[in-house]
Amino acid sequence: MKQTKWLSLLLSTGLLLAATACGSSNNTNSNGENASTAAPASAEATAAPGTSENAAKPELKSLNLWSKDDYNTYPLAKVIEERTGYKVKYEMLPADKAMDKLNLLISSAEPYDVITISGEKAVYTDYAKMGALVDLTPLIEEFGDNIKASISQASFDAMKIDGKIYGIPNSSSQFAGADLMIRQDWLDKLGLKTPTTLEEFTEVLKAFKEKDPGGTGNSGAPMSIDGALATTANITGAFGIGTSWNTVDGQLVPAPLHPGFKEYLTYMSDLYKQGLLDKEFAVNKDATLKEKFTSGKIGVIQLPWYDIPGIADALTKNFPDAKYAYLPALKGKDGQMGLGMSGGFDRITFIPKSAKHPEDAIKWINAKLEKETFKLIAIGEEGKHHTYKDGVYSPILPLFTDERGNASNYLTGIDEKLYPIYWQARVQKDARLFAGFSYLNNELPAEARIADPLALAPSLPEYSKNNASLNQMINDFAVKVIVGEESPDAVADFAGKYKAAGGEASTKEVNDWYATVKK
Amino acid sequence: MTKRTKGDRLLDIFVYLFLIVLGVMMLLPLVNVLSKSVSEEWAITSGKVGILPVGFQLDTLREVISSSMFIRAFCVSVGVTVVGTLISILMTALTAYPLSKRNLPGISFFMVLFIFTMLFSGGLIPNYLLMRQLHLINNLWVLILPGMISVFNMLVIKSYYESLPEALEESARIDGAKTYTILFRIILPLSMPVIATIALFYAVGYWNDYFGPMIYINDTALKTLQLYLQDVVMDASAANAVNKSVDDLMNMSPEGIRAATVVASTVPILFVYPFLQKYFIKGVLIGSVKG
Amino acid sequence: MGGSVTDLNRKSKLQATRIRSASKWRLAWRNRDYYVLLIPGLLFLLLFKYTPLYGVLIAFQDFNIFEGIRGSEWVGLEQFHKLIQSDEFGRVFMNTLLISVYKIVLLFPVPVLIALVLNEVRLMFFKRTIQTIIYLPHFLSWVIISGLFVTILSTSGGLVNNIIQWFGGEPVSFFVSNDYFRSVVVFTAGWKESGWNAIVFIAAIAGIDQEQYEAAAIDGAGRIRRMLHISLPGILPTVVLMFILRLGSVLDAGTEQILTMYNPVVYETADVIGTFVYRIGLGKMDYSFSTAVGLFNSVVGFILIVSGNYISRKLLNRGIW
Repeated sequence: MKQTKWLSLLLSTGLLLAATACGSSNNTNSNGENASTAAPASAEATAAPGTSENAAKPELKSLNLWSKDDYNTYPLAKVIEERTGYKVKYEMLPADKAMDKLNLLISSAEPYDVITISGEKAVYTDYAKMGALVDLTPLIEEFGDNIKASISQASFDAMKIDGKIYGIPNSSSQFAGADLMIRQDWLDKLGLKTPTTLEEFTEVLKAFKEKDPGGTGNSGAPMSIDGALATTANITGAFGIGTSWNTVDGQLVPAPLHPGFKEYLTYMSDLYKQGLLDKEFAVNKDATLKEKFTSGKIGVIQLPWYDIPGIADALTKNFPDAKYAYLPALKGKDGQMGLGMSGGFDRITFIPKSAKHPEDAIKWINAKLEKETFKLIAIGEEGKHHTYKDGVYSPILPLFTDERGNASNYLTGIDEKLYPIYWQARVQKDARLFAGFSYLNNELPAEARIADPLALAPSLPEYSKNNASLNQMINDFAVKVIVGEESPDAVADFAGKYKAAGGEASTKEVNDWYATVKK
Repeated sequence: MTKRTKGDRLLDIFVYLFLIVLGVMMLLPLVNVLSKSVSEEWAITSGKVGILPVGFQLDTLREVISSSMFIRAFCVSVGVTVVGTLISILMTALTAYPLSKRNLPGISFFMVLFIFTMLFSGGLIPNYLLMRQLHLINNLWVLILPGMISVFNMLVIKSYYESLPEALEESARIDGAKTYTILFRIILPLSMPVIATIALFYAVGYWNDYFGPMIYINDTALKTLQLYLQDVVMDASAANAVNKSVDDLMNMSPEGIRAATVVASTVPILFVYPFLQKYFIKGVLIGSVKG
Repeated sequence: MGGSVTDLNRKSKLQATRIRSASKWRLAWRNRDYYVLLIPGLLFLLLFKYTPLYGVLIAFQDFNIFEGIRGSEWVGLEQFHKLIQSDEFGRVFMNTLLISVYKIVLLFPVPVLIALVLNEVRLMFFKRTIQTIIYLPHFLSWVIISGLFVTILSTSGGLVNNIIQWFGGEPVSFFVSNDYFRSVVVFTAGWKESGWNAIVFIAAIAGIDQEQYEAAAIDGAGRIRRMLHISLPGILPTVVLMFILRLGSVLDAGTEQILTMYNPVVYETADVIGTFVYRIGLGKMDYSFSTAVGLFNSVVGFILIVSGNYISRKLLNRGIW
């Protein structure tokens, strides 16, 4: 008796809940379907030239990186369908453990026609070597006129594995991403000039500590960094290790084997000892760091320019008079300086062997790179999504964000000449963000930026395999030295461990390749 | 009730004090997340949000709840949780019963067979291949069938069955009742506290499972709420930010959105417990059944 | 009704084991209903748990997902050597054991205590409210909880350090101190899961026959005595069960938790097997190595469960099987 009553109660409430919740979601579901089934009709109605063979075009299945919006319902999906004539079903990888999932899907031959993943070449190389990918070289030759016109030979070369092209890259725009940001109003209050050398910078930190312009008492520190980024932008540049690989005597040398590494660590651990660096920096995650800066406890942090708007909002809400500014590239004792630049690829698109329609997939990719279509995907329509004036594209908000904010998710290959220009519309979404970007990349002299020498390197299996764990090792060691748990003299020991853990093989491989491009 | 002694009164003071302190402490994190979900972003960024929201607003929550992915995922989760919990309770309660008769020949052996699987599993790849062979990939049943019986929950029920007085079953047998009748008419009704407990465990388990959906479900329309939440939260984690392009980083959800997603996807399941509580807050009067 | 199980249960174990095989079969046949009930569960076990078990073989291979188990190269115990022979294994293993043992010794009794104390509350509304509140932290992920604790324990304006300073103490950097980090790990773990873990004991108390309490009250037993002599023995089987199961996961000191909380400064005390394996496996997709580590953990866990069960049967005359 009792349990049947209980069961029925549970069942009925459960079903009731499901019914009410799913009732509404069914609506959205069918709405979504209506929208997408309506799309081909409208495409035919508007009869864009070249879409007459619509009926023969199969539906493609595309696998993409995670996005917080559903690829299928985001407005761009429809635009692309109308322009290319291909109906595409998009699926996405999880945000976490994406590569585990991808491995399962690829090894069990799920029939995706197009797969777009992040620009890290390790996975791509693996799959190509395993024979899991379609050789695109002949397909591009036959169906890929726009692809050939858009992507440079250098990018294709970086994709080559045993002489064959298996992937279509989206090369990144090259720029300096992060720098030290300082509380300008603190500098002004103490009547200090913006530091330009490492020495001056140290003096500023000391002044911040002694004179406490922020009135933090003993709860703050002059500078703080992210515990996961113990090799700080700008400061590393002053020691000649502005990027992860730097040239010494014509050879590429990773940080642990570079003489500047020890000097850098000595400098940082001195700051720590003198109380100029946040005692708890090792615990800092991205959010903690921003919290400390915007609540006025810290005067200098490392910050990428795309994070400026959030910081600026919070800072001015808390301190209406607060001003912030990027520091110029600080000069070290030998005049060395520089901010590391990012480079390489944002995305790689490939076609797995299990694809049902490899030819159509290439035709689709090719169609998306047709000049007008590509522009429409990247920044939308002039007058609706963006304006064009004096060679500069500026976004029209909020429609640009609403309908093109996710555009980079839909790009499978880019027009390498035009996209960097289009792309700046993205940076102009926020004036403060643009100011930061512009300072680092336009106002600072060119020699203040150090390009990533590996940006266009081909697939380097050893390097790719060990890169993540080696970087973790470097960071762990750097943190330990800075807090004084290990002495800077331990660098030699560490270099040995680093080599043994795969660093030596990586260094050799990187330099073997470097020798071929130097000629 | 009998007269309260001094010891009893001291006990009362201790009990209430202890529980109030505990309650306040443990309420903290959810209140904090709740406050963040209705605070303004600048206040979250600068760490101003503690217990009370700063700059109250409901836009973030509304934005999260109204997104089509959220609604679909919510509905999938409710369905899987309800159906899965019912199936699991039935299967577990049935299987635990014979296993509680530990003097029957072979039962110990079967018990060890079950416990063995608590520790040893084939791992991700063989499981994935099995699901593929069973045509369960991209099928919502994959979220229920492989976890139908949790050995842990089964042990909880089994141990409860064992604590029931044997005289009950014995007298029923004398009255000529069959095993199945005894199970459904006597054992299960007496086991409501433990069944409510494992119902809660299963419901929470199904609701919170994100690994299963992450691995076995490909279709965006079939993803569950916890997977959606996991994606939103983990997308911002340092480990996953490494390979992101600047555009991805610019598009990352602010913390307020993450907090609102946590709230919106956690609060529904929190209501299950108060609902089930009445089944084990009072205790069972075995005498009443016995009589 | 001779031969029914309930009769048998009263015979001592010694007698039960001495039953000759012929009568064993007879006993089984007479109770075949029970075995029939077991069939669905066993089928489930066979299909979903035992079929994929061949996957442990990956631990003895250099597994390549494209070749599958059949095509991958066999390497014997190499993966295990890789784990055990690495420089840091000794430290990592000790940390794992220490943190796990701390967690068991300090945290295992907490949910039991909570359940016992809750049972003494007569105000139903209060009882229900507290019960619901204390299980809330379980629902938040470690990412969120550690973020919260970093703020609470921070030296720059964190709640706890403000209190310490108010009492005139020196602020403590809990998260970067090898002296305190393990305590933080144990405390936060208890704080997150104690309420949740108490549920099973709360339910067990609810299963105790209320007549016993009434009888004891009539005999003049105070509430403390009733708690110690009725409630506690009443939930003892559940306590023993939970304890033995807890032993099985002794080599998982809380990888997910520590990963979100630790930093290089406290590797000395906080680096455990799970976190260590995570770091060296970053970006490598080394299925064989992770399977080997998992297998190692499982074997240790299984041995502990079996011995725990054995000891419990010897000492307390009850066990899981």
